[in-house]
Amino acid sequence: MDRQTLSKKRQYGDLLFLFGVTALAAYGLVCVYSASSYNAQVQYGDAFFFFKKQLVGFILGLGAMIGISFLPYGKLRRMGIPALVVSLILLALVFVPGLGKSNYGATRWIGFGSFTIQPSELAKYGFVLFTAGYFAKDPARMRSLKGILPVLGAGLGICVLIILEPNMSVTMCVGALMLGMIFLSGVSKKSLIVICVPVLFVVPALILAEPYRLQRLSAFMNPWASPKEEGYQLIQSLYALGNGNLFGVGLFHSRQKYRFLPFAESDFILSVIGEETGFFGVLALFAVIGFVVWRGFKIARECGNFYGYMLVSGIMLVFAVQSSLNALVVSGCIPPTGLPLPLISAGNTSLVVTMAGMGVVYGVSRQTAAREQGAVFSGIPRKKRRAVKLNKKS
Amino acid sequence: MAITFIFCLFLSRFFYIQVIWKDELHYLAVDQWTREIPVVANRGRIFDRNGVLLAGNSTAYSVFARASAVKDAEGSAALLSAQLGVSYEEIYKKLTDRSRSEVTVVRQTEKSTVEKIEGAALDGVYYARDNLRIYPYESLACQVLGFTSFDRSGTTGIEGYYDKYLAGKNGEILFETDLVGVDLDGATAAYLPAEDGLDVRLTIDYRIQSLAEEVMLRAQTESQAKAARCIVLDPNDFSVLAMVNLPSYDLNEIPRNDLSALNKLSRNSMVSDVYEPGSTFKIITSAANIEERLRGNSAALPESYVFSSARTRTVEGSKIKCWSDHANGKHSNQTLAEALNNSCNPCFVDIALALGKETFYDYLSAFNFGRATGLDFSGESIGMLLPESTLQTADLARVGFGQAIAVTPLQLACAAASAVNGGYYYSPRLVSEVRSEDGSVSERIAPSLLCRTVSEQTSSILSGMLEGVVRDGSGKKAYIEGYRVAGKTGTAQKYENGVIAQGKYVSSFVGYFPANAPRYLALIIVDEPQGSYYGSTVAAPCAQEIFRGIIDIMKLEPFGEG
Repeated sequence: MDRQTLSKKRQYGDLLFLFGVTALAAYGLVCVYSASSYNAQVQYGDAFFFFKKQLVGFILGLGAMIGISFLPYGKLRRMGIPALVVSLILLALVFVPGLGKSNYGATRWIGFGSFTIQPSELAKYGFVLFTAGYFAKDPARMRSLKGILPVLGAGLGICVLIILEPNMSVTMCVGALMLGMIFLSGVSKKSLIVICVPVLFVVPALILAEPYRLQRLSAFMNPWASPKEEGYQLIQSLYALGNGNLFGVGLFHSRQKYRFLPFAESDFILSVIGEETGFFGVLALFAVIGFVVWRGFKIARECGNFYGYMLVSGIMLVFAVQSSLNALVVSGCIPPTGLPLPLISAGNTSLVVTMAGMGVVYGVSRQTAAREQGAVFSGIPRKKRRAVKLNKKS
Repeated sequence: MAITFIFCLFLSRFFYIQVIWKDELHYLAVDQWTREIPVVANRGRIFDRNGVLLAGNSTAYSVFARASAVKDAEGSAALLSAQLGVSYEEIYKKLTDRSRSEVTVVRQTEKSTVEKIEGAALDGVYYARDNLRIYPYESLACQVLGFTSFDRSGTTGIEGYYDKYLAGKNGEILFETDLVGVDLDGATAAYLPAEDGLDVRLTIDYRIQSLAEEVMLRAQTESQAKAARCIVLDPNDFSVLAMVNLPSYDLNEIPRNDLSALNKLSRNSMVSDVYEPGSTFKIITSAANIEERLRGNSAALPESYVFSSARTRTVEGSKIKCWSDHANGKHSNQTLAEALNNSCNPCFVDIALALGKETFYDYLSAFNFGRATGLDFSGESIGMLLPESTLQTADLARVGFGQAIAVTPLQLACAAASAVNGGYYYSPRLVSEVRSEDGSVSERIAPSLLCRTVSEQTSSILSGMLEGVVRDGSGKKAYIEGYRVAGKTGTAQKYENGVIAQGKYVSSFVGYFPANAPRYLALIIVDEPQGSYYGSTVAAPCAQEIFRGIIDIMKLEPFGEG
């Protein structure tokens, strides 16, 4: 590869990352159609009902992703605190009667007419923006426990609001995200332990606080103990996966999507994918997801400034943590919770926001490439970039 | 690092579920994906030995509905109501009853009705074949045939014993449905055809069976007996030609509500109940004695031996009397043949005592007493035999003339048949063949020789004596000129609670013909006849009537005197 093409390629940023994300979202579109067509036909008289909605999300998401990638990410630095505040306000609005919308016994949505958004989806990224900005402003903060406290405070604040909805899984997601970002920021081991130990106590306490969580937990231990109630969802998911075997029953041929599997097009879409494409299909899907995550962290590592590093890592963490949690739920490794598989599951808020986040990551890769071309240079000296790299490895 | 680890964790979990656990999961899942409509297999039919249908099916249909799949409840209900003659409201209620996944709209309806309903192609309405068991001859051989339960599985008799052949295997129509039971478009309904049951062919001859039932019913009515029973056996292979237990009941109208009555009526007493055989048992005692003499046992009494004329024998202080008073020269200076003619008890006491416990019990065992005969029928009794080790001599003396022993009528008939057929004891059987619907034989139950009892010579000598019993002795009323009928009468007192029940007798007769090469053997039992109670007067005439009937049916020419 000669220098000319290399530089040209660099100019467009990490195209492989962009293609990976777009491919996942497009594949999600197909899967949503397959998983939802029967139910959509029965419930709405239109087999394409969920597909059309998802298509709108896909187009919006694609636009957001490309649009945001042109935005100099340095400007996001100042948006940390406003993003956190907006997130908290939106999360609080869920509890305002008239605005908050309930579904399946939880108030997780805000409605504006027919349009609904799920603030917790935004809050995750709000937290990432805040944390990245906070640490980047003064990297010395992360060396002391006191310096970390605002991050902990923001994280816990979001967690508390989300858990009140209630939404255990997103809470877990934000918690994991918080720990991950603190870890990546390079805090001392001592601080890390001080933070982690209480979490070990909080999680069981939260589970015990709500009776339905305990029921779900026991259902998870033995779903066949209550096959009609708590265990139902997991059993149906296992049936779907079991039916898939190694190579699957073929795209669009899921048997479980005929209303046996609840949330087949959203939280449990991975079950349908597992049924239709088999173990190898799941393996391939996570190979692509893993590839996107790997490219994402590579972008973070190579961006050359601490803020970009924290920002991209945070966004990739959200994606990776959520994908993993969803897979763990679907395969019955952890108790069932309502958590979409990012980019794949039906749900526009999640799709648009995730793709917008991916747009930020892609933007970072573009701007890094452009800077290395010498077109833009406004960053940290090379020496410091190296320090960041070493820091991350610790 | 941590992310890679978690990825590996859940991917291995996916592998476990999708590759290792899948079969069990799939098995469970298939159940929820489909709804089944049963296709009832045709139950196999039961024929007599000549192909006369004794148990068959009338084909009827059941109509089912699944409320969740019914699209036009009003229209469907109106149509069904008109076709089935059931009220609109009732059907409408069933078609809209979503509390159950499937309801039976109507059972046992005609095929033509179902075809009309099928033509209308109503959504959510299904039909399936159902069978109704029909017994064309109603009560004929009812205890032998037995009946089926409500779910059409055989419970008693041949229906029960041969259920595995008769039942067949129900099929299913599987409809692929969604969660609430709505049929999936384009999903093919799998059809698992029913495997019809196999037909069973009995050894029973319908003509002989109905003849015997007629004769026994007349005997029962005339003597006002509690019960009248009879078995007709082919002595050459122990095929049961007729088995009669009166009173009987109509198999098409089974008294299912009165269980104790049903249990009583449906019991095959010839196989399941025991009685004290009395004098008919003397056939066995005689056979044992003749066989022992021929084998050179000096203890056995020769045929020329003249028995003591005394009326009583005293054994171990117990006095055994003859039924006759022995006055005016009756029962004096008898040989074995005469003792049989007169059915003189003391003579058989002498024989039993002469042979001794060990030898005598060897013969009881050879004649299969105390063991099931192995008839293809459930609930066979083994009879009651006093244990050889504790047997008192006085008991042995009584067993010699058929007391202190209880046997099933079937056991006695089989033992007598083997004593006169040359000494061959076969396993008796009721079924000769199992056939598939197209008539090909899928299993043949061949005669099987269980053991030898006595020699041909013994059999021939004994048969000559028993022919004399019918010609000159107590069996005269069974005599048919030219057909060489032989036999032995029996009159036993009944015991109730261990003491002799006054005025309660079992009159019996074992007869067969022709004496030189027996083809038909009948055991007649009349239980508690009123008035005359001797086997010679109550039971022997029945045998004669049955044999005459058989001669007519089979168009048998006289055999000539032997």
